[in-house]
Formats: sequence, structure tokens, C-alpha cells
Amino acid sequence: MNLTLYRKELKGSWKLLIIFAAILTMYISMIISMYDPEMADALKQFEELMPELMAAVGMVGGQDTLMGFMTSYLYGMILLVFPMVYTIIRANGLVAKYVDQGSMAALLAAPVKRSRVAFTQLMALFTGIVLLVAYSTALEWFVAEGMFPGELELRQLLMVNGGLLCLQLFIGAFCFLCSCSFSETKLSLAFGAGIPVLMYILQMLANMGGKLEQMKYATFFTLFQAEGLAAADEQAFLFAGILLLASLVFSLAGILVFRSKDLHL
Amino acid sequence: MHTMEVSHLTRDYGQGKGIFDLSFSIAPGEVFGFLGPNGAGKTTTIRHLMGFLRPRQGSCAIDGMDCWKDAARIQKNLGYIPGEISFFGDMDGWEYLTFLQKYRGMSGRNRMMELIARFEVNPKGKIKKMSKGMKQKIGIVAAFMHDPAILILDEPTSGLDPLMQGRFVELIQEEKAAGKTILMSSHMFEEVERTCDRIGIIRSGKLVALDSASALGAKHRRRYTVTLAAPQEAADFAQAFGGELNRLNPCQVTLTQKQTLEDIFLHYYAEEDRP
Repeated sequence: MNLTLYRKELKGSWKLLIIFAAILTMYISMIISMYDPEMADALKQFEELMPELMAAVGMVGGQDTLMGFMTSYLYGMILLVFPMVYTIIRANGLVAKYVDQGSMAALLAAPVKRSRVAFTQLMALFTGIVLLVAYSTALEWFVAEGMFPGELELRQLLMVNGGLLCLQLFIGAFCFLCSCSFSETKLSLAFGAGIPVLMYILQMLANMGGKLEQMKYATFFTLFQAEGLAAADEQAFLFAGILLLASLVFSLAGILVFRSKDLHL
Repeated sequence: MHTMEVSHLTRDYGQGKGIFDLSFSIAPGEVFGFLGPNGAGKTTTIRHLMGFLRPRQGSCAIDGMDCWKDAARIQKNLGYIPGEISFFGDMDGWEYLTFLQKYRGMSGRNRMMELIARFEVNPKGKIKKMSKGMKQKIGIVAAFMHDPAILILDEPTSGLDPLMQGRFVELIQEEKAAGKTILMSSHMFEEVERTCDRIGIIRSGKLVALDSASALGAKHRRRYTVTLAAPQEAADFAQAFGGELNRLNPCQVTLTQKQTLEDIFLHYYAEEDRP
């Protein structure tokens, strides 16, 4: 890893990280504060009014623990989508954008191997993802402890967010592979953003149940099972392991592709 | 051993575009002018030398190292000015140069400060908002600041004003005196004439001329023979126009017109249009 480049990229991620952290802060504290039984009734009313929509974003009630409440209201959309959007923007900006603009020439006209440049960019991307997930975890814990002391089990929270980290790293590695594979930003984004968003839409359809439930076999979001992780279910751990392994494979593939591709710089 | 060696390099982009069986080499301490019309394949060749493109056929080497496999090692001692310089989004000039300095693992910044002063660079302010000439000057500083032994310069003076072009020529002359090996593509004839030991002209991806500037000039001398009415007239004519009297026929004068480098370039550049 080249530390100078790594520092430059973290500096470049900073503003975006703050924005996403702010969005997550707002939603996480808002949702957790709704755990109040009366507010939960309000959410229930939403569910009765528009059951399909609420189901699509994973918001199905009937959970009586705080963790259960959080898995359905936070881990269906908010903690999936916002870090994912951050990842999509940064992954594209870390490799494909430089190649497209030509500024990659400055990075390669130096005694730094291509694989090293790519690895550094990957680490910068992963650092941002880890920071977002770690921040969310800490925030969830403190908000929950502050409002409902003793209601949230730290072990459960850590297991669910460990799985969430695996999912987000998987998305990151996939976007990184796209960023390394295409020399044009528009193609990098078409695949790097298009496929994860499509997968999320399939997930929403699958959540709506009925025949559409079969869609769950077509989307990688199925591999993240918040409830299963909270319940220390073996299959959920296995799935998280698969995500982590796949993210390693995609990362390696991205570095190899970047190392051997022709660059018209 | 040659410092740069391109041998049978071929890269076919289809429709006659690309480079074909290109071979040339540059000796240590030599300044090589790499010329040719737009789209002739200069930048494609340079991209191979920089290790950005993998040779499909043939090979190229710098200091005996393969340009593709050993790119990072070669870059340790190489300075590069791209044909189109592009910078990172919102860095200012200082940030960019300091970043490159650290990224390369350089310690001192004397040479950098010296170059900044020499080219009157004002590195304050966002690079995005700088003029084309100022961006080019930052590119020059970035390429020379680590004092590399080998330089690859793709149209290094584009966008510079005549004063700065002059300073750049001086810089090249100094580097040459210091024994640096330089490959430079350019469209500025004067610059090439004043700096380059040898010139290679590429057209449609093929090398069409390769020689020293003076030898190229000699090849393209034009001779005219004028026959006048009387030997005296011929003698006067020869004196007036610097011609040479024919000893066998005192009425004949031979005039030799040396072509400028510019004429020679145009000759090679325009040949494409001829059948």
C-alpha cells in the first residue's frame, strides 16, 4: 500500500463520509426512538395502510425486542442502501474516474506498481465502508442505551453488523472490480451501480411475498439475514462467510484486471 | 547498451490506425526527436514505453528492462510529460506537487523549487482554474523534479508562450549536457532543431525517416543548374547567389538550396496525400 496515496484518498472521502454519517445519524436515532410502543403503533398503521410498500423495504413488524424492531426497520433499507450509495460513488471515483480523466497517468508514471495502486485504492474504499458500519454500530448502541437502557443486547448488535459489514464489503469489492474493469466512468457506473441497484429492487420484490418471493434466489441481498444473525443462526453466518469470501475474490480479480489491462493514458 | 529500445513493436487498431513493426533505439545521453503528423502513432509508442499498453507484437525496453513487466522499476529513473496532462480534481498546485513528491518517495525539494522559479510557476490556487500554459508548466516541474536520467516528453511545450518555450529549450540543453537521455515528441521545429541529436519521423504508424537533423537536411538538398549566356554572366551570377561554377562548362552555375527542417517535415507529413 502507498501511504501517501491512501491518505490523499481518505481526504477525498471525508466530505462524503460526513454526509452519509449525518444521514445515518438522522435515520438511526429516529427509528430507534420510535421503539416506543406508541410510536410502534404508528408504524403498524403505516403497515396496515400500505402493506406492500412497507414489506418491500423490509419493514414488517411483529417484533417485540428492540433488536427485532431494528432488524425490520433499519436493516431492510437504511443500512443497506446508504452505505451502498457511498460505496458506488467512491469505488467509481477511486479507479475508473482517474483512468477516464487521465490523471491515472501521474500515479503510474512513478515507481509504484499497478497492483499496489489498485490495492491502495481498494483499502481506501474499504476503510470508508468500515468507518460507516462502525459508526452506525456505535450510534445504534449509544442511542439504544440512552433511550432504552438494557433493551439492546450488544452481542446481537455486533453479530448483525458484522454480517452487514460482510455485505457492504461484498458490494464494495464488486464496485471496485467494475471500476478496475472499465476505462470509462459511464460503463463503470452502469455496471457498478446498475447491478447492485437491480439486486436491491429484486430484493424489494422478493420481500413483497407471494410468487415474487422466488426473486430472493436472484439477489445477493438474500445472503444478508439480519434476523438470522441476531439469532446466531448457522445458515446466516454461513451466508455472511460467503459474502466475505466473494468480496475477497472480487477484490483480487479487480487488482489482477487492473494490473494487466491496457491503459490509454 | 541502448537506453531505449523499441523493436518490431506492432499495435493494430484496425483501419490502418496503430503502429506497425516499429523499431528504433536511443543511445545513452542522446536527445531523440520523435516527430510525425497527428494520429501517426507517437503517443501510442510512448504509451508502450511507459508500460501503459502491453505490446501485442514486438517489445520495448528501457535500460534493458521490459517496459511492460518492469514498469515500476523503470519509472524510478524516468520523467514523463503526457500529451494531455490531467490532474486530480480539486488539488491546488502545491498540493499536487507535494503529493507527487511524497508519492514517489522523494526527500528533497530543491530541484522542485528551482524549476518553479525558472518557469515562473504560481502553484497557488486550484489547478482546474489555471490556464493551459500554467498547467503545462506544473506538468514540466512534475516530470523533472526528481532529476530522472531518462525523460519521455510528449509535446512538452504545447500551450507555452515563446519565452517559456525558450526556457524549456535551455532546460533540455542543460539536461543533455548532464548526460540525460531524452525522447521528445514535438511539432515545434525550432525546438527540435536546437535540441535533438537524432530525429525519427513516424507516419501512419511506420518509421519513414531516422537520422540526425543535419543528415536529413543533406538528404533533402535541392540543386538547380542554371545555364547563362556568357561565362562572365555566369561568374557574376554564381557570386551573387552563392552558386558553384561548372568547371567543364563555364556558362553553367549550380545552386544548392538547403531545406529547412520545417520543409523536410512537411515533405514527410504530406506524403500521405500523394499516390
